[in-house]
Amino acid sequence: MNLSQLLVVASILAPSAVGSASTAPQQRDPARAFAALRQRLDLDLDGRISEAEFNRGRAAFRRLDRDRDGFLTTADFEPRGGAGTQPAPPSAAGGEAGAGRAATPEEAEFFEKRVRPVLANACYSCHADSAKRVKGDLKVDSLQALLLGGASGPAIVPGDPDASPLVVAIRYDDPSFAMPPKQRLDDDAIADLERWVKMGAPWPSAPGMTTSTGATEPSNPDGDASTERPLGREIDIEAGRQFWSFRPVTRTVPPKTEDARWPWSDVDRFLLSAMEARDLAPVADADRRTWLRRVTFDLTGLPPTPEEAAAFEADRAPDAYEQVVDRLLASPAFGERFGRHWLDVARFAESSGKESNVLYPHAWRYRDWVIQSMAADMPFDEFLTKQIAGDLLPAANDDERAWNLIATSYLALGTKSHNERDARKFSLDVADEQIDAISQGMLGVTLACARCHDHKFDPFPTEDYYAVAGILLSTETRYGTLDSAGNNRGSALIELPQGAHVPNGPQMEPTLRQFLTRGKERAEQSLAKARDERMNGGGDQPRPGDVNAVRLRAQRQQVALTSDLLSRFDETGRALPSNRLTMGVVEGKPRDIAVLERGELSKPGSIAPRGIPQVLRTADAAAIRAGSGRLELARWIASPENPLTARVWVNRVWLHLFGTGLVRTPDNFGAGGAAPDHPALLDWLASEFIAKGWSTKALVRELVLTHAYRLDSRRSAQNAAIDPEALLRWRMPERRLEAEAIRDALLVVSGTLQATPPVGSPIGALEGTIRREEIADLVTRERPIRSVYLPSLRGHVVDALDVFDAPDAAFVTGDREETSVATQALFMMNDADVLRYSDAFAARLLALQGDDDARITAGFELAFGRKPVAMEVNAVRAFLADYARTIEPAPSGRASGNDTERRQRPGQRPRNRPGQDTDRPGSERPGSNRPSAGRGGAAPAVAPLTDPRRAAWSAFAQSLFQSAEFRTIG
Amino acid sequence: MSNDLRQSAQFQPSRRDALRLASSGFGLLALRGLTQARAAQENPLAARAPHHAARAKRVIFLSMAGAPSHVDTFDYKPGLIARDGATLSGYRKGAKLMASPWKFLPRGESGLYLSELFPELGRHADRLCLLRGMHTDVPAHPQATAKMHTGSFQFVRPSLGAWTLYGLGTENQDLPGFVTLNPPSNNAQNYGSAFLPAVYQGLRIGLERNGRQRAGETGVPVDDITNPRQSKAQQRKQLDLVQALNREHARRNSGEDEIDAIIESYELAFRMQAELPSLLDLSNVKQATRDAYGIGKPETDDFGRQCLMARHMAAAGVRFIEVGMGGWDHHRNLRQELPERCRAIDRPIAALLSDLAASGLLDETLVIWGGEFGRTPYAQDADGRDHNNRGFTTWMAGGGVKGGLSYGATDENGIEAVEGRTSIHDWHATILHLMGLDHERLTYNYAGRDFRLTDVHGEVARDIVS
Repeated sequence: MNLSQLLVVASILAPSAVGSASTAPQQRDPARAFAALRQRLDLDLDGRISEAEFNRGRAAFRRLDRDRDGFLTTADFEPRGGAGTQPAPPSAAGGEAGAGRAATPEEAEFFEKRVRPVLANACYSCHADSAKRVKGDLKVDSLQALLLGGASGPAIVPGDPDASPLVVAIRYDDPSFAMPPKQRLDDDAIADLERWVKMGAPWPSAPGMTTSTGATEPSNPDGDASTERPLGREIDIEAGRQFWSFRPVTRTVPPKTEDARWPWSDVDRFLLSAMEARDLAPVADADRRTWLRRVTFDLTGLPPTPEEAAAFEADRAPDAYEQVVDRLLASPAFGERFGRHWLDVARFAESSGKESNVLYPHAWRYRDWVIQSMAADMPFDEFLTKQIAGDLLPAANDDERAWNLIATSYLALGTKSHNERDARKFSLDVADEQIDAISQGMLGVTLACARCHDHKFDPFPTEDYYAVAGILLSTETRYGTLDSAGNNRGSALIELPQGAHVPNGPQMEPTLRQFLTRGKERAEQSLAKARDERMNGGGDQPRPGDVNAVRLRAQRQQVALTSDLLSRFDETGRALPSNRLTMGVVEGKPRDIAVLERGELSKPGSIAPRGIPQVLRTADAAAIRAGSGRLELARWIASPENPLTARVWVNRVWLHLFGTGLVRTPDNFGAGGAAPDHPALLDWLASEFIAKGWSTKALVRELVLTHAYRLDSRRSAQNAAIDPEALLRWRMPERRLEAEAIRDALLVVSGTLQATPPVGSPIGALEGTIRREEIADLVTRERPIRSVYLPSLRGHVVDALDVFDAPDAAFVTGDREETSVATQALFMMNDADVLRYSDAFAARLLALQGDDDARITAGFELAFGRKPVAMEVNAVRAFLADYARTIEPAPSGRASGNDTERRQRPGQRPRNRPGQDTDRPGSERPGSNRPSAGRGGAAPAVAPLTDPRRAAWSAFAQSLFQSAEFRTIG
Repeated sequence: MSNDLRQSAQFQPSRRDALRLASSGFGLLALRGLTQARAAQENPLAARAPHHAARAKRVIFLSMAGAPSHVDTFDYKPGLIARDGATLSGYRKGAKLMASPWKFLPRGESGLYLSELFPELGRHADRLCLLRGMHTDVPAHPQATAKMHTGSFQFVRPSLGAWTLYGLGTENQDLPGFVTLNPPSNNAQNYGSAFLPAVYQGLRIGLERNGRQRAGETGVPVDDITNPRQSKAQQRKQLDLVQALNREHARRNSGEDEIDAIIESYELAFRMQAELPSLLDLSNVKQATRDAYGIGKPETDDFGRQCLMARHMAAAGVRFIEVGMGGWDHHRNLRQELPERCRAIDRPIAALLSDLAASGLLDETLVIWGGEFGRTPYAQDADGRDHNNRGFTTWMAGGGVKGGLSYGATDENGIEAVEGRTSIHDWHATILHLMGLDHERLTYNYAGRDFRLTDVHGEVARDIVS
């Protein structure tokens, strides 16, 4: 908006102030008039317009700011007592003849049948929220909008058709003021609208009714009606506090059990007591190897080694189980495993997702912080506090300061629409995403549902949402990225303290560096050429909107982006100190924001003071006095008094160890979620967890050393008849491993896993968007590292993980899908990487001393953590012989016994083995990646095996990978 | 075959479910839609009974990426001729209307006006149901394409095909239930399953990437569909060992459904390898058929192949088949390039409709044609048209739709949909309705909320249902 336009608006809004009253036929309700102005200019949503926000000249601002308080507020727009020469405006809110009152059923029917369709068909395309451009500032899709009116004042005067501009316009009496512009409505429609205005313009407000924006209440066809609040009823906060998950955690007492010997712990007493009440008895214990495989995968995400299995089986010490658990808890792999669990909850990814999918090259620092914090058993309350407000915490030294800053990346790495042009909408959406992540991830409630309407099930009015949103909008979220094609919303990053012992970043591979440098040079050349052409008058005259101009701008941005990236790495590809950057948050300007009706920026309501949801306010929740309130929010979340935080986390841990949560909707502890199967146990666990200093490791240790965790997976028909899903935990159901564990097991068993974790992430040496297939291939290609360290791009989940249901990180994912589908089978049968791992596994077995039976046994031990039974050995022996007969040795007669001297077909690309890590950016098929198309197409990327023995053993090794047992834990 | 499947698909709550319902009351099943419970309980791809009598069993979606100009193809605007060159107010400054350079002719008994650019397709005018009142949210390709495929351009949501497969399962267990041919790259969400189980995602065949790696004469670019080194016999031997191990494992762990599911998945995968490539292999197709589809003629070869593969898959019982054709973004060179595009699809689509009709499949197959939005009736430069999301045309033919019908209309110039306005949500609701699915009841509980393809919108265009 330029100044002249604004003055027109201002003159309409406050004619006496500007002195051009003649343009305003009617003066308007000051509150509404101001609301219209605020809607455009109140960038920080604090309910008033500062001079900076006004930004249209000091003189104009001064004229409008009549009370000289430095802000434009409603007061500035009140008519001056006695000074106005205008007749008193018809009060929009007080439409006598029934505006604002509920329509009778007959009136509602009339409206829906005769009025709304006319408005919708004839007017909405220019005069509704749904219109692309609202013309004349007038909307006719709500009574409020009609009364508020547009550039020409209120559109209707309820009860008085002749005084209603809308009626005058549709009558077509005045050709300069006739609507709809193209064709007059038919007489019936005009008569209907006149009649409706005369009635007093009753506008039915039945919830669930579609308005022009289509904003109906979400339907919930399968929800239990009894939990849904009756429509129109105010939320009763006090009543809401009585809901189980909002009540304080109680210190429950473990019950006595009839069988006093079975329980080994209080957890067991809770479980057995419930079983006894239903006349169920737990099944027998699992054997040692089954338990070892179970606990090793659960705590580290990796299979036990045959040596570990043998040692444990032989260990008859009374504390043999405890020793295993303590060994696993102490292993760095525990951090990787439970860190990954948290990364699901934290919707961690290294790109923005949505339309542009802009890369977040510094997100890996947060990943590392999560893994290290889990490995170090950082108290969980501290773990959460740092993610919300690490920047506001005192730090003993640069290291702590750096990690505290990195922890706040949590708030910065959610999905974002980087192509959004509206800065206010963007920041509201960022805050919304943060609210969704925090409320579901940490608190197990769906507060984000209250953005547009009071929560349907839970006691969260919209004010609660905007109270939290105010905290986040008083915070500056720094996610990095530079403005470029598809990205209108670049932001700064946070520099890490120079004294901190944090890595500068990953190595930029030489080929990538060349690739980037070449691209930059090419872009610079074409920019220079374009400049020369323009100066020499050659070429076409550039026109505004010219494709060339667009292209050139994109190239300029690309050059800037690439230069910035290259500047943070030296010639050898080593990251420089200038790359010590992190995503995260810093304090912004503290402000309270307005509740937005239906979540729409154009409909600000009353101001919601920053704070926490009312139903969860406890005595010790600190009031927000200064700053954003983020630290108060964090402290409240991590408070022992918070009824949700500890319950939600112990439930998540339970879920990862027992397959299903005690609350089976881990991200929703509200009325729309499931109630706990064992409420007393849940509370006991939560209170113990708090009492033991929020130690995740202590909790895990407690749970995996229970008798319940030791149980076999076998069904008991008798029990199943009573409790088919084993909710009472009378057995340990077999579980499919997560995608990461399956892939990591492939690497471990084939002996190809790189022992040390990589520094950073391949994304760390990139910037911009994933526009080119080659880049996507480059970053998602196979690497012999643990899956948690693979690039984590939204929309480009690594195939090997995607196929086994790894989440795309668009949302908080507390409970992953678990499917068994043909695409997984195809992957295990035919995927080039799986074949390479099979070759490596076979080579490992063939290199062993001893006979083939010993090798077969070793295969089972490596893959399944157990010895084969006789039938299995026989089947494999027969298979090996049979399969070898199908292989025709190479014509030369020279069997390729040497793994490194594979024969290659003419024209075939050299094969990359797992273990090699050569990037080939810009090449047609970079590295050994599974390109996103054409796998199994023209040229196979794996070499054929011509040695019958090697081929047979590789096929056997692969069959172990393919088997159900490989991907499940009993 | 389908009879047996239908029988087995009748919902009979197992004792396990009955118990679950009775004992938990507010348990998972109560929270989740019936479809979800069933899909989780049985083979997720098993054919399931629809909500109401289905008018079509399967969908062939001819997706025209780039947004074809409706006023030059299926939206006859004679007024544009009279107003050719007139300056429009209220739109882009100086926008001048441009009459279609092509004639429209009444075709068939219905006299539906179609552009002369579709001489062959015009023969099927009485089968076409034109939706001339389409509109969508944004005039930008990626967003509108996502909207058209998933109902949302802001969030990653399951695609139309995934929802259909989730709702109905599939008839041929030897084949994937949802196949997409030559989709544009980097658009996985358009055939993805998002939060629906991965089993419902579209199987991608080929990529529209500089013409490389398309589904060709015999090449079958499907992820991991063929083993690079094993023969079928060798692979079968290997699978026999795997299944023996699996059965032994199942025996030791009595009654785990998970193991059964894994055993099944290998058999389907193995069968898919057998049947899918043969469906895509056109080397044995009769010359007359090849000619009918325009296979072998440079202009029509590519799309002709896709249409023929789609027809093969339809006959084989694939539930949802998407066929892609890009290149409709005619900001310039409209007069030269639009006829080329139309020629590329005219004969293949006509052959597809004839072929489906002749084999009796058309009555139970819903063929849908459409781009993500339309183009402006006013010119961009002298020989192009800009994006227009406010009004455009798609069409349907086959199962359950009235043929020879023009439903809805844009204004006199073809800019805004004014009659029979059909949003993408309405369009989705209508497609699901024809498939026997109620868009309001087809829900999936995810992250504590019931999701629908149509969110909280969508109205079935009942007037087009025959």
